[in-house]
Amino acid sequence: MTTTLAERASGSAAPDRQTGARSLFSSAVFWLFLAVLTVIFIGPILWMFLTSLKTNPEATTIPPTILPEQATFDAYDSLLRLDGSYPVLRWFFNSLLAATLHMLLVLAVASCAAYALARLRFRFRGFFFVVIVSTLFVPGFVFLMPNYLIIDRLGWLDTVWALVVPGAAGAFGVFFLRQFFAMLPGELEEAALIDGANQWQIFTRVVLPNSKPALATLAVLSFLTNWNDFIWPIYVLFSPERLTLPAGLRLLQGAYTTDYPVIMAGAFVASVPVLILFVFTQRYVIEGVSRSGLKG
Amino acid sequence: MATTATSPGRTGRRDSTGATSRIRRHAPWTPYAFMAPFLAIFITFVAAPAVFGLWMSLHDWDYMLEVKPFVGFANYLNLFDSTSAAFEMFWNGIRATGIFTVASVPLLVGIPLGLAVLLNRRFPGRTFFRAVFFMPYVLGVAVVGLLFRFVLDPNIGILNAAIDAVGLDSLLNALGVGTPIPWITAQPWAWISLVAMTVWWTLGFNTIIYLAGLQDIPAELYDAAKVDGASSWQQFRHVTLPGLRSVLVFVVVITVLASANMFGQSVLVTGGGPGDSTRTALMVILGEGLESFRMGSAAAMSYLLAVFLGIVSIINVLAVRERRKS
Amino acid sequence: MSTTPRHSSTPLTRRRFLSATGALGAGTLLAACGGGSASPGSGSASGPAAEPAADTYDGPNVELEFWNGFTGGDGPYMQALVDAFNSEHENVNVRMTVMEWADYYSKLPAAVTSGRGPDVGIMHIDSLSTNAARNVIMPLDDVAAALDLNASDFAEAVWNAGEYAGQRYGIPLDVHPLGYFYNKQVLADAGLDPEDPPMDRDSYEAALEALKSAGVAGHWMSPHTFTGSMTLQSLIWQFGGSLFNDDGTEVTWDQDPAIEALTWMVDAINNDYSPSDVGQDADAIALQNGQTAFNWNGIWHINTLKEVSGLEWGVAPLPNIGGTQAAWAGSHNFVMTSQRRPDENKLDAARVFINWVSQQSLDWAEGGQVPARSSVRESAEFQELTEQAALAQQVDYLRFPPAVPGIGDAFADFDQALNEAVLLTKEPAKALSDAAARATKKLEENRDRYSE
Repeated sequence: MTTTLAERASGSAAPDRQTGARSLFSSAVFWLFLAVLTVIFIGPILWMFLTSLKTNPEATTIPPTILPEQATFDAYDSLLRLDGSYPVLRWFFNSLLAATLHMLLVLAVASCAAYALARLRFRFRGFFFVVIVSTLFVPGFVFLMPNYLIIDRLGWLDTVWALVVPGAAGAFGVFFLRQFFAMLPGELEEAALIDGANQWQIFTRVVLPNSKPALATLAVLSFLTNWNDFIWPIYVLFSPERLTLPAGLRLLQGAYTTDYPVIMAGAFVASVPVLILFVFTQRYVIEGVSRSGLKG
Repeated sequence: MATTATSPGRTGRRDSTGATSRIRRHAPWTPYAFMAPFLAIFITFVAAPAVFGLWMSLHDWDYMLEVKPFVGFANYLNLFDSTSAAFEMFWNGIRATGIFTVASVPLLVGIPLGLAVLLNRRFPGRTFFRAVFFMPYVLGVAVVGLLFRFVLDPNIGILNAAIDAVGLDSLLNALGVGTPIPWITAQPWAWISLVAMTVWWTLGFNTIIYLAGLQDIPAELYDAAKVDGASSWQQFRHVTLPGLRSVLVFVVVITVLASANMFGQSVLVTGGGPGDSTRTALMVILGEGLESFRMGSAAAMSYLLAVFLGIVSIINVLAVRERRKS
Repeated sequence: MSTTPRHSSTPLTRRRFLSATGALGAGTLLAACGGGSASPGSGSASGPAAEPAADTYDGPNVELEFWNGFTGGDGPYMQALVDAFNSEHENVNVRMTVMEWADYYSKLPAAVTSGRGPDVGIMHIDSLSTNAARNVIMPLDDVAAALDLNASDFAEAVWNAGEYAGQRYGIPLDVHPLGYFYNKQVLADAGLDPEDPPMDRDSYEAALEALKSAGVAGHWMSPHTFTGSMTLQSLIWQFGGSLFNDDGTEVTWDQDPAIEALTWMVDAINNDYSPSDVGQDADAIALQNGQTAFNWNGIWHINTLKEVSGLEWGVAPLPNIGGTQAAWAGSHNFVMTSQRRPDENKLDAARVFINWVSQQSLDWAEGGQVPARSSVRESAEFQELTEQAALAQQVDYLRFPPAVPGIGDAFADFDQALNEAVLLTKEPAKALSDAAARATKKLEENRDRYSE
């Protein structure tokens, strides 16, 4: 019963609109255009890496050198040690753990709630939906102080739970999945109902398997939102070894205000694992997002 | 989470209120069981704090002070009273946020659309290029901020050096633009820099969403258009755009919300300067609440901003719907 | 951890600030959200009963949390002091946590509220009154008394600025004045004497002119808080002005001396003694790279420059541009935070720690500071730290902002005026008066809030 939608999704391949008679000129323009864009997109990241290999005087000379005169890994020395003052790798693992747990929690709670809002009928459905969506517009500050006090009462200060749980109440995930669930064809669950399935079974065996693209999208989004956050972690984390990357990089920037090789090395160490992660998962990530078919 | 133990065949009831023919069979409490985990977190960390925030906004509220006098709507009225200290800060922040939103949203809606159409063609390395354009987005604002403060530094940054190196400086001088360009210390350059780096950083995300939408447009429509002799532009105008309408609504709404919440880029790159010209509403709110400790006033600012955002979002949705009718 | 009963009669457990309004439940900082346990003895006697001799601690083992914002080169020096203290004191273990100053100041109150704050912290002198008024930190009169600290051992301006509403809240650790750094090579190349930098307005401007003919913008004017705001404050005092009136009720930086001072900075740009649009820290980098001759920067910059190999540089007290000797300075102070559940042993140990570090402030001076204690500052050992000692001369004419809660809010406006004028987007007088108008409103509103 899960095949219908999968077929539908994979069947709609990108329309091939190449006429075949495209001139050499426009093809050259096309590739040139792509090449320029690629330089623009990769250039700054490459610059970050090159700077991290320079000595500080060289990094700030005018005019700048492109390649380091004498490449050195000095800037990475203190950063890569797990017990150093600026344990960038440890921060990375903290961020990874927090973002992963957060992502899983969002997927779990948002999909259940979205299922109820999209496919079950109950009295307060409209009310819940409007209330949840309206919080999309309220700036985060409103929640900052109260959440801090609540986290404190829960004993979660300076723990990963402070980073994982509060954000899972965000309206976006529910809104996003509800839109997707709502457009799934009803025949599938009717068939399941006739087969004697209960709602939980329909949810786990029919709706979720048919929503993989949307779930993948939400997974990526919630992971990156958590990964990016840099106000909240600064407040709820105290111990240097428990910081997340954004909070830690702030510390690093304060410590090395004018030492650009170290700052760039920190930024680079912070980026490499997630870039590698991205290279290995990008196919799935991009296809996932591309297939979610956001029909509003 | 074993929620529904009901056997649908026996206890299920036909939903007589529904206009559709769908059968709804579940216990009355089933939906609430599905909602419960989310609602628990939502009520704890969003709903209750939001109500508490409203209460806060009606007081001169500082959690460190014993006395938190009730001030009624004074915190809100202050935002409309040009003699108050908050007035100028707040509206200046709203203006900065407005400028950023107006400048960045068209680019973040338009450029990714063009890129998506381009990347939707079949050519070798398509997956690679999709990855390249999405890559900056995974870096996070903390890294992007550090990077661009260095790249854009007027005196030691690579961008100005590159402009010199390729001889663009004489062209710019001829156009009346002084070099080195003060990317982060003078307007309009500071806005240009913030908008450009935001486009660089987040463009990949919208591109991917458009790509999703493009795949849902049936290929037959293009075939039909070609049979009718439609040019590429006509195909784009009459097939692609209408097919993307709902995706467009989604992209516009989330991009407006993201732009209106712009904060990290200003903090990390321009520090709100030059002057206070790039001090966005969110920076003002956080400064008011966490540096000046006027939390009641900051909460009032937050709610006023929320109202604006709600109105803008509704207008966005309506505007696109209107066009659909016509 | 110890279970020693709390001495409810010790004034240290109390936020005395509120005694005027009747010592409201001092523990319920979180009245609105139910912070929980009210602290004991909030209404009882409050005489200065400082009985313990505070240079030794022989109670049960305690852990002290010590927070500060020494993220820069000064951090390792403080860590070394903490390590030395820990090895000398078997029953006290101090754990130091470093964070960005800006984060520290906005995070500390929240942490104190939740009982997760440190026992000991460091604060800049101009933050003491705000944090005292907000009950983040507690009075230390009895610490000062028990440690036998008094005004005579500290620079007067520093000692006095540690008091708020008649009580002492900070024990000064150091003074960090603005210094006058110069690149000797650049001076020599422009035909100037590298060992005798200009020290008054005429010779300074002549030197800038000479540097200009040699193709060097001699003094880069920063539009940012670091170092522009500190430069402007120094100049305003030099020109005979001030930022606030004595009781902090009025802003005075829109008056003539301030306009003159800011105009002098802007003229440096108009005369090509400085490029326009100087980026954050670009002025310091320019000195290191030999692109400029002078940089007025904090004393902490000494250690940064020492690490640049092959750089010929010197440092001196600020030249007297305006006619009156003056220099901006900050001061780090030890503070003790308000505790939700005060522990006498920790308080005792904290006192011992503060006293010990304060006596070791010579080691701290090596991190690029001037010790606050006169006895240390006048010692032969400190004088051997030539660079620091050179700037210590300025301690006699330091100024600090008045001890008014919320005065920091006004500085945001001051810095904005500097930024607008130095980036040439507003005339100095207009920038200053606009900022003064905004700051005056904030000061008024703060007066209302903190007087309640």
